[in-house]
Amino acid sequence: MNRRKSRYLSKAGRNTIFYTFIFGLLFVILTPIFFVVSLSFLSTREAYQYPLPLLPELVTDFKLEGGEKGYLVSVYDKFEGEYQTVQDTDDMEKLSVYFRSQLSVYMSPDEIAEQAAIYDETGEPVYFNGRKNLIHNYNTFFRITRDAGSAFFRSIQIALMTIAISLVIGGMAGYSFARYLFRGRNALKFSILFVRMFPGVAIAIPMVIILVNLGFYDQPIGLALVYSVGAIALTIWITASIFIGIPVSIEEAAEVFGATKTRAFIRITLPLALPGLAAAAMYAFLGAWNETIAAIILTQFNPTFSVVVYQSLLGSVGQVNLAAAGGIVMALPAVFFTFLIRRYINQMWGGITF
Amino acid sequence: MSTLTFENVTKRFGKVVAVNDFSLTVQESEFLVLLGPSGCGKTTAMRMVAGLEDVTIGNIYIDDDNITDLPPRKRNVSMVFQNYAVWPHMTVYENIAYPLRLKKVPKVEMDTKVKDVAKMVKIDPLLDRYPSQLSGGQQQRVAVARAIAVEPKIFLMDEPLSNLDAKLRGSMRTELKAIHVKTGATTVFVTHDQSEAMSMADRIVVMKDGEVVQVGSPDDVYDRSASVFVADFIGTPPTNFLNVNINRENGTVNLVNQHFKLSLEDKCAQILKKYYKEKLILGVRPENIVMVDEDEALFTSDCLVSEPQGSHQVIAVELDESYIKVVAPAQPKINPGDIIHLNFKQETLHYFDPDTELSVGHACDDE
Repeated sequence: MNRRKSRYLSKAGRNTIFYTFIFGLLFVILTPIFFVVSLSFLSTREAYQYPLPLLPELVTDFKLEGGEKGYLVSVYDKFEGEYQTVQDTDDMEKLSVYFRSQLSVYMSPDEIAEQAAIYDETGEPVYFNGRKNLIHNYNTFFRITRDAGSAFFRSIQIALMTIAISLVIGGMAGYSFARYLFRGRNALKFSILFVRMFPGVAIAIPMVIILVNLGFYDQPIGLALVYSVGAIALTIWITASIFIGIPVSIEEAAEVFGATKTRAFIRITLPLALPGLAAAAMYAFLGAWNETIAAIILTQFNPTFSVVVYQSLLGSVGQVNLAAAGGIVMALPAVFFTFLIRRYINQMWGGITF
Repeated sequence: MSTLTFENVTKRFGKVVAVNDFSLTVQESEFLVLLGPSGCGKTTAMRMVAGLEDVTIGNIYIDDDNITDLPPRKRNVSMVFQNYAVWPHMTVYENIAYPLRLKKVPKVEMDTKVKDVAKMVKIDPLLDRYPSQLSGGQQQRVAVARAIAVEPKIFLMDEPLSNLDAKLRGSMRTELKAIHVKTGATTVFVTHDQSEAMSMADRIVVMKDGEVVQVGSPDDVYDRSASVFVADFIGTPPTNFLNVNINRENGTVNLVNQHFKLSLEDKCAQILKKYYKEKLILGVRPENIVMVDEDEALFTSDCLVSEPQGSHQVIAVELDESYIKVVAPAQPKINPGDIIHLNFKQETLHYFDPDTELSVGHACDDE
């Protein structure tokens, strides 16, 4: 084998390894997302089938024939390739409820009775199909979980309060860390990260007691304060590094040319720090939005949305497809918010050019 | 046009004294250069005028107004920063207009003003660009335009040319000087580059360790340097220093070391009449050492290195385990190893006291 050929082969080998790795990564990242999205569209019957279908059926095929108690209703199972009997009854009301809750097919008792009438006339099995309602799980999730709607808005409220508190306090602290020399600066900057090292569960009881004493237990502001502790630390680190990157002299120039200190900050420094502030806001939002453990402990009658999703997995209402639907609903605001500020985030990674 | 006065100004950072008892008056329309090595306090002195540093002790006046405790925006000064400090999120136009808007200049007037100064510094085609789309030299022009537009009482420049490449620096130097002539603004210019100071200044203030070492015109500091430090700091190549003994016999003064015995002409020795110490540091600028015929030579040596510069050549000669530099005409060409005969132009000699390193006098001084 000559040298050029072996070099060519080794390059091909490297590329193979590279792309295998990349696609492996993509597979690992995308599979769970795909799985949850797909699950949220499955009917309850599908969701508890084995093996689990990869994609939801859009249309369900039925067979209706005579049974011992009235009519024997079967559903076509694609995997087994045959009709499987699901109900034997003459109660059209019961069938309609079954179609809706187990198969996500919205058919009124009258519509089913029409098919039954055809069977009565001909005596032959009747084949018909019903279109599946894809957002059935989403509807059901909001219907059967305890005030999911208000929990959703409460979560947004808490997340926005967390952003406000952590940006104001963390941003100011970040600015002082970047601009002023003071005794113990580095020690303080490091110790700020300390607050993030304690697991919420470990300090749950003290947190509850303090919040009860403040009158903030089971209140959105209480959770926002708890989330802000961690978010402020991160905000300080992000904003301090962005403020360091903005030369003092452009602020000083504004002062020399007629601006007050405050005005120089608002008109000159703040716009340039926007990417950092946006990144910090994103982390604060995601942290507050996704947090579950502290929310379970610190709320009672006013749960956050993450608590509602968590509860949908438990007890009599617990169904994986409903929980998946709740999970998707929960992911949307975070995705939406991140897209909203993606321009600034991109600037942050791209760096500011002076 | 205004005057600027420092009155016993001292600035301390903790225990470090950055500027010590600084007193000076900058005249109307004067171009004053603060010159010194880094850390000498020149930039601190300027920042105190702008109000970006507090004054520890003393007062600063513009005309007769004490501005020591005024915030920067009320001082009516403008400043060009070393890193330009143009605002990256504003266009060139907005950069120049923003200070005018802060000063509540009417819109129409502001627009004409911006266009006028932009034309003056030759950036009028760039008004819609953002600073990141400009070269360093163009950003510098924006900074200058912004500073001119507000018609300040005092124009401050903090090493404005040091971030530019050598060629651009030369041409910007000329342009800044031309702008000064045109506007007649009282200017304080900070630099560590002595050739910049020499070429631009009406007066140079040489500073070292927070103290003023010498104040004078470029000719003053060059020809009548106040100390070894000034003579060494100003001029390229720097002044050559030689330790000599003074030997007085029969009314003539001889300066002697192991290589030569220099008999001073009478007029050049006048200034040494009142100097009674035995030893002296002799300062000779490289262009004041001349190549002569053998019979006129003060001393003879061989060339160690020669550096052709086109218009002239710089020759290094080994002497006293160190070397002295000579600026000679481009022709005839001297090569390393060539024997050369040298003499000093006596009327240009600098005399320094070896103990204090301060000037005793200069050969050209009249009594």
